[in-house]
Amino acid sequence: MSHEDQRRDVLDRRAFLQRGGIYGAGVLVALHLPRPEAARAAAESTAPVVLSQAEWATLEAATARIIPTDREPGAKEANCVNFIDKALANEDAAAVPLYKGGLPALDGVARTRHGKAFVELTPAEQDAVLGDLEKGAAAEWTIGGQLPSPVFFETLRVHTIVGFLADPSYGGNADYAGWRVAGYPGPRHRRGGFTPDQVEGKAPVVPVWER
Amino acid sequence: MAEEYDVCVIGTGAGGGVMIDQLTAAGFRVVALERGGRVGPLDFDDDELKNVIRDQVFSPHQLETYRFDAESDSITGRFSHLAHCVGGTMTHWAAWSWRFRPDDFEVLSKEGPLAGANLADWPISYDELEPFYTKAEQDFGVAGDHTMNPFGAPQKTPLPNPRHPERVSAKKFAAGAKKLGYHPFPVPKAINSRPYGGRPRCMYGGACRAYGCPIHAKATTLSVSLPRAERTKKLDLRIEAMVYELPVDDRGRVTGARYLDAKGNAHEVRARHTIVSAGAIGTPQLLLLSKSNRFPDGLANGSGQVGRNLTFHHHPSVVGVFDEDLRTYAGFESHAAFDDLHASDPKRGFIRGGVVGELNTFTHQPIAYSVVLAGDHRFGSSWGAGLKDRIRAFPRTLTLALIGEEMPMEENGVDLDPEVEDRFGLAVPRVTKRHHENDLAMYEWYEKKLMEVAEAAGAKHVAPGRNPEVHISKTQAQKGNAHNHGTARMGNDPSRSVLDRWCRSHEVPNLWVVDGSFMPTTGGYNPTLTILANAYRVADHFIREAKKGSI
Repeated sequence: MSHEDQRRDVLDRRAFLQRGGIYGAGVLVALHLPRPEAARAAAESTAPVVLSQAEWATLEAATARIIPTDREPGAKEANCVNFIDKALANEDAAAVPLYKGGLPALDGVARTRHGKAFVELTPAEQDAVLGDLEKGAAAEWTIGGQLPSPVFFETLRVHTIVGFLADPSYGGNADYAGWRVAGYPGPRHRRGGFTPDQVEGKAPVVPVWER
Repeated sequence: MAEEYDVCVIGTGAGGGVMIDQLTAAGFRVVALERGGRVGPLDFDDDELKNVIRDQVFSPHQLETYRFDAESDSITGRFSHLAHCVGGTMTHWAAWSWRFRPDDFEVLSKEGPLAGANLADWPISYDELEPFYTKAEQDFGVAGDHTMNPFGAPQKTPLPNPRHPERVSAKKFAAGAKKLGYHPFPVPKAINSRPYGGRPRCMYGGACRAYGCPIHAKATTLSVSLPRAERTKKLDLRIEAMVYELPVDDRGRVTGARYLDAKGNAHEVRARHTIVSAGAIGTPQLLLLSKSNRFPDGLANGSGQVGRNLTFHHHPSVVGVFDEDLRTYAGFESHAAFDDLHASDPKRGFIRGGVVGELNTFTHQPIAYSVVLAGDHRFGSSWGAGLKDRIRAFPRTLTLALIGEEMPMEENGVDLDPEVEDRFGLAVPRVTKRHHENDLAMYEWYEKKLMEVAEAAGAKHVAPGRNPEVHISKTQAQKGNAHNHGTARMGNDPSRSVLDRWCRSHEVPNLWVVDGSFMPTTGGYNPTLTILANAYRVADHFIREAKKGSI
């Protein structure tokens, strides 16, 4: 195996992001700092804390393409943007520069291509922009050397999914939107668990939001 | 001069916890040094973001490096699924509790040498360990029905607790297995199926593996061994005690341990015997950190074998989507398995094998499922409408997987990273790990078999379950695992092993290693019951010999 193959494998983009970029291994900068809890911050406010109004709007539109709204709510209704804002204010502070650089760059791609802000594009145009960021194929991405667009995209993607499905106390998954879509009835450790009949499929499961 | 304890135990997980329990019960005064803090039921909720994704509960300071082989660069992170806390990694284990089979103890004799692998027989037999398996099953309340597995290890004493409810997913898996002529059975679990040992019945809350149990229905050294030991008043348990050196005297005996407290202040304890139970990553790290004039290559490392022969298990898996809610978010990680494909058969193009089960590592909780599986490129687009459809499939999705035996290789192992230091300035463990050809062939073969089972079970969509963290190939290996073994091998030849048949150092007569490090080979089963049983065996020997005055 060539050294190059090996380096590419070891530094696999997704592995870097899953274990290294935002969660798990790599929050090395933040690892030894006191980290206030996003749950508390989210409970206090759903107004922007880290993001500007413009950044919030751009990010909200981007999350809405990662998990789109259809017959069921998507990232927008689940308020994933609020989850990300509160995570950046707290546990995921290490990713603030990534968003502060990436969101204007994302908007820049839209303006160069279409003369309009990202939020003003049609869903199809937004998808084309995001798809090019995912592939690293957007020539208009202006800060590539400092922040490859696939790294920004993958962070956005993972953060949106987490915001959709994490406990609502973190500021996303509003009105249990994500759990409803996923058919996940909610955590049970503090609610007595499930009965053997429920485990065996002999009794219905009532979601936590209906009890 | 400071008090001299009878025994110093480093680590409180499966190996150390049992030693602490058994030795204090026998009247020895024990000082236990645990690198992590004390967590307990009040800390054990099922918030997936906090527990699993951000890993904020169990190992906030864990740090290691990984490289593919000696020529590769290393990366820094947290790759091994460990818990650095009182109770060790058992605190968030999945509680699968198998006995290894008799052939698992004599792989070299049965198979002959394998090029590129460092196979070895265990210096003990299944029959020697059998009574201690029984002891472990009784103490930890294993539930199941071993009579349903015609391919399992022979067992003289039935499991102490009846089987758990059969989850919908387990019924599907069992139906598919039976259709193919296999013999599915309930996975033996050290989780209470009825009140037992002063602990309650499982509430089937779903968040089990990777979580602490809020009611102690899951048996751990935290819930079983350490409370008993603390009641004897013979235990001095010191938390947030990071041992950085085992000092030796001029006779070459260990005098105890030196450790740093949470503030980085150094302390020393003295003990007549020292038992290292820091796990197959932490134990070689500590032995290699303990360099002296007498042991310039690290303590007990005259053979050069400390840190070598690291094995994990590998997990070929497939993901199937069914028509109905499988209830995988309830119960625990896995309810059913079969062993029909376990026995070694060189005609398959590889030796050895493993147990197959419904193994819902990534399918029982919505975030991990959606990030790792639903969001995987190989199942389609990782975002947009396709992603959302796959999120909707969460409760209908099942993973089937193998616990695959890996071939030990001398060049795979744990040493000290020359560049990366922890928060105290200690060299972190560096894992070097690639796969043997046998592992790759096993992976491919079982993946095909798992596809057949998933289809026979009625899954409409079946896909390989590989993801970047578990994918294995010639150029990429798993970077970490919850099953770590082999880095301080037990054997009869002091030039080829670190420990004797009693897990005592060949070179240092009052140094013992009791965790997963001792295993020369690792079977195709989760290792913890074997670590527990071996600890009971070593403790039994230690107590008998100490009372005779012969150690």
